[in-house]
Amino acid sequence: MSRQIPPDIERFNIIFRIQHVLMFTTFLLLSFTGWGLKFAYEPEGLSSIWIRVWGGAETAGLIHRIAGITMLLDFIWHVLYLVYLFARKRMTIDLKTTIIPLPKDVFDLIKNFMYFMGLSKEKARFGKYSYAQKFDYWAVFWGMIIIGTSGFALAFPMLVSYVIPEFTTAWIWQLLAIMHSDEALLAIVFILFWHFYNEHLKPEVFPMNWIWLTGRISTEKLKHHHPIEYEMLFPDTPESKKPADKKDR
Amino acid sequence: MSFKKILILVAPLLLLSFVTPQEVFSQESANCLICHSAMKGRLKTAAGVLMELNVDTDRFQASVHGFLSCTDCHLRFSDNPHSSPDARVPSELLSISSEISSKYPVDPVAAAACDSCHEVIYQKVLGSVHGRNITVKNQTDGALCLDCHGSPHYITPVKDVNSPVGRRLQAETCGRCHGDKELNEKYNLEENVMESYEESFHARKLHLGHTGVPLCSSCHNAHDIKSKDDPDSPVFGKNRLETCGKCHEGANEKFIPAITHKPAGPIPYYTEKLLIVLTMGVFAFIVLHVIAEALSDIRDAIFRKKEGSE
Repeated sequence: MSRQIPPDIERFNIIFRIQHVLMFTTFLLLSFTGWGLKFAYEPEGLSSIWIRVWGGAETAGLIHRIAGITMLLDFIWHVLYLVYLFARKRMTIDLKTTIIPLPKDVFDLIKNFMYFMGLSKEKARFGKYSYAQKFDYWAVFWGMIIIGTSGFALAFPMLVSYVIPEFTTAWIWQLLAIMHSDEALLAIVFILFWHFYNEHLKPEVFPMNWIWLTGRISTEKLKHHHPIEYEMLFPDTPESKKPADKKDR
Repeated sequence: MSFKKILILVAPLLLLSFVTPQEVFSQESANCLICHSAMKGRLKTAAGVLMELNVDTDRFQASVHGFLSCTDCHLRFSDNPHSSPDARVPSELLSISSEISSKYPVDPVAAAACDSCHEVIYQKVLGSVHGRNITVKNQTDGALCLDCHGSPHYITPVKDVNSPVGRRLQAETCGRCHGDKELNEKYNLEENVMESYEESFHARKLHLGHTGVPLCSSCHNAHDIKSKDDPDSPVFGKNRLETCGKCHEGANEKFIPAITHKPAGPIPYYTEKLLIVLTMGVFAFIVLHVIAEALSDIRDAIFRKKEGSE
């Protein structure tokens, strides 16, 4: 152990953590209230009771709208904050730390599947973000573009009706409703299986990955889960000189 | 006897004033109901029409028409029992009854008698697309009072949860005809009006207990209902600006196509199919990855423990 290596490092600063908390609280509120409307008729009677839990149809609708606007603002805040970080050169694009999807992620995925099936002895080695985490992150962008814009249009149809071109009016409203409802279901399924497994249920993080609260990751975990980033941050430590591949469990 | 003693004897009688009289309907109705509350089943008339004979006294009394006498509507049965089917009937009721006799062969006068109290509404119905189907085309399908409001003996206020034209049951009531495939084909009506309403945000919110969303009658009107092709219909062309505008202030021409009974066009249809494929694809990938990873974790924990600890 080298004395230069701190016990943990900051992974997400307080602003990213607040953005994440806002994102998941509004996501849960939107899912709970929206589910009742999407499945209003099934199971028989239960959705009405469920919506009553949220204060009845009128109140649930209001909660959904407020949460939706908050989530959109949170997303815009995040994007603007990234722009600010880049402008102030506090963030740069580095292939080892970027969250931008790269060809390496596809190879990592294949490599991991080989490992899962016993065809390879090695798991993929990740930089700051694994392909699973990149998938998680960009899914939000997809969701905000598809569900966010359609949701805004459905919440403020009169405002949006002035903007939409004449030739779209025959089908755009149905399209917006379909986009909003179907992609919301995809988002819920995604969070429920992908995000919940990777950040909550996986044996090594159960009951949850505490980084959302502390923002810090121990260097031990960093070395284990993000070896490429670890080697980049602490290049001269004895551990990183020899490739510690077989350290994986 | 002193005044005090009289008071003690008489005062308890005042309690009787709290006892509400049971018989609110007229003596004449009571006479009819002696038999008709006990009669069960239906009778086939000479014309071959089934006639309901039973009247549920309690429900009749609780209905909005509980105060009426039987003969207020069944004008031809003014004598007891039924001896004078030719009793004098006002001429305007007679003319209505002859117009609607194809629909109500048993007692068209009684079916016309709604007009004596609800004249304005009745005339609207007769002039509506429903009424004209009976009076002009001599069909039995067109809706008249009883088709929507149920038996005249048991009509309850529209606010009542069990009212067939109230918020809870109205769509179901309209759907009895407008969800009927044969009737839709016979009159060339819009096919999936009930399904598209049920799919809409309006009906979903209604089902969840929203108190502000529109029912069928909110947009199409109730008694003076018009064909959607009639320029006077509230859902014809630009009339929708006003109709939608009742709730959606400032409704404009690009907004009003948002609600339609027409089936989804190709763009929403194929987009939905595409999104379903996308969802299933993502779902399949996620489940496969999660299960494979979990199984490999279990495998590693059992079989590769030694390697890790070395």
